[in-house]
Amino acid sequence: MTFAPVLRAEWLKIRTLRSLPGALLALFAVTTAFSAVAGLDGSSDPEFDPLFTALSGILPGQIAAISFGALAVSSEYHGGALRLSLAAVPQRGRWFAAKVTAIAVPALSAGLVTAVAALAVARAGLGSAADALTGAEQLRGILGCGIYLMLIALFAAGLTALLRSGVATLSILIPFILVVSFVIGDAAGTVADFLPDKAGQIALHQTYDGTLGPWSGLAVTALWTGAALLAGAWSVRRRDA
Amino acid sequence: MTSIEVQSLTKEFGTRRAVDDLTFTVLPGRVTGFLGPNGAGKSTTMRLVLGLDRPTSGTATIGGRPYPTLREPLRHVGALLDAGAAHGSRTARDHLRVLAASNRIPSTRVDEVLQETGLASVARRRVKTYSLGMRQRLGIAAALLGDPEVVMLDEPSNGLDPEGIVWIRELMRRLADQGRTVLVSSHLMKETASFADHLVVLGRGRLLADTPMREFIHARVRPSVRIRTTDDTALTAALARHGHEAVPHDDGHWTVHHARVDDIGRIVSEARVPLLELAAEEGTLEQAYFDLTAAEAEFTTQPQEA
Repeated sequence: MTFAPVLRAEWLKIRTLRSLPGALLALFAVTTAFSAVAGLDGSSDPEFDPLFTALSGILPGQIAAISFGALAVSSEYHGGALRLSLAAVPQRGRWFAAKVTAIAVPALSAGLVTAVAALAVARAGLGSAADALTGAEQLRGILGCGIYLMLIALFAAGLTALLRSGVATLSILIPFILVVSFVIGDAAGTVADFLPDKAGQIALHQTYDGTLGPWSGLAVTALWTGAALLAGAWSVRRRDA
Repeated sequence: MTSIEVQSLTKEFGTRRAVDDLTFTVLPGRVTGFLGPNGAGKSTTMRLVLGLDRPTSGTATIGGRPYPTLREPLRHVGALLDAGAAHGSRTARDHLRVLAASNRIPSTRVDEVLQETGLASVARRRVKTYSLGMRQRLGIAAALLGDPEVVMLDEPSNGLDPEGIVWIRELMRRLADQGRTVLVSSHLMKETASFADHLVVLGRGRLLADTPMREFIHARVRPSVRIRTTDDTALTAALARHGHEAVPHDDGHWTVHHARVDDIGRIVSEARVPLLELAAEEGTLEQAYFDLTAAEAEFTTQPQEA
């Protein structure tokens, strides 16, 4: 059995569940809207970072990316759906790889499109306050935003496969993103920089200080995601369906 | 032709043995009824055959090969395990298209099985709007999708209306007549008796019987004869002369146990007993099954307390 038909089936699964394209649409809408608002009232802060202000909509928007990753996997853990999927594709490693790819590609695409739109609407509000941004910085912000959203969606996907429950994943990740990371992130120094969300978000800033830079920060998030996916793959391969 | 071979199969969940050293073969060209009370290990056995659960020991193969080694397995084996497996927010047609895509089954086949299972007119409706019977039909459509030579159905008539039950019975017969291997689990005796040629009976995970259905019944339940007459005295006297005993019933008919209708018919005719009714009462699968499982049933019914 080759990979292409399995990937096609997993892609079809995502397309045919209304909630999944809906989550990506919500990612776009929420991020762009919050970035637009941030662009209108943002530049008075002394630590003003025009790039992060423009992309700050992903802080609430990433919850949609997390939901996308979690829902795409959790739909397999209802009413014996996984059994049907694995009866059709008994090579579990291949099946999970197809699932992950079918989540990664639309999440990355939606993330890139969202970043471009968020930057554009925020810059319209910021006006001259954003003039200091170079083209390279903006490109880095857009790429970083797309990659970050993909990684965070896959992190949720891996965790869902491990926990076999979307509800469990969301009730861990959303409070974590909203509360823990927010509180510790401001309080602590270097350790917080290595949290899965904080590390990747460095790429969204024009200026940064600390141990990690934009790409090494994304690499740290990628390590977290890789670990979650490996744990998820282990669960899919080892446990009875 | 492809058969299902189960060899010394054992599956433990913690300390509980769900399947205990099971060995049997399901042959093509006939419908094999997979019988046993709830919790006897029928569904677990099916999951083991499909490679979904890992056996503690032993093997299960399809035509000599473990299921996970089959290329495009839906083209070889079709299974209905859970009627709830289709996502409620997907349409029936999309649900089948996903399965077809994974095994490179042409999408024309999706419409064929929708037609065959009577779902064509509702194929574009979301599965959550379906009744249990319709979901069951969708599960059967998924099992037939790859035109497989082996079909395994776990409790397929759950939730089906009487018309659906007749349909599934005829479908299973047709599949067997086409030379396919058909394994159908059920805990309902009357229903199994209506379609099975062969029986594999489980109790507490162990094999209790693996025999043709007729033999299974005849070996355990002796037939009886039902008689109604206008002259009860003449009837009982004639039967007594030949060593038969008749048991009266409230509505006026008599039952002669352990007797064949050919013998009883001759006796009463020679004695010129006026007859209103004479019929053979064959043993039922239910009687034979309870005879077999009397000591084996895992969940015996507790008397209801008032």
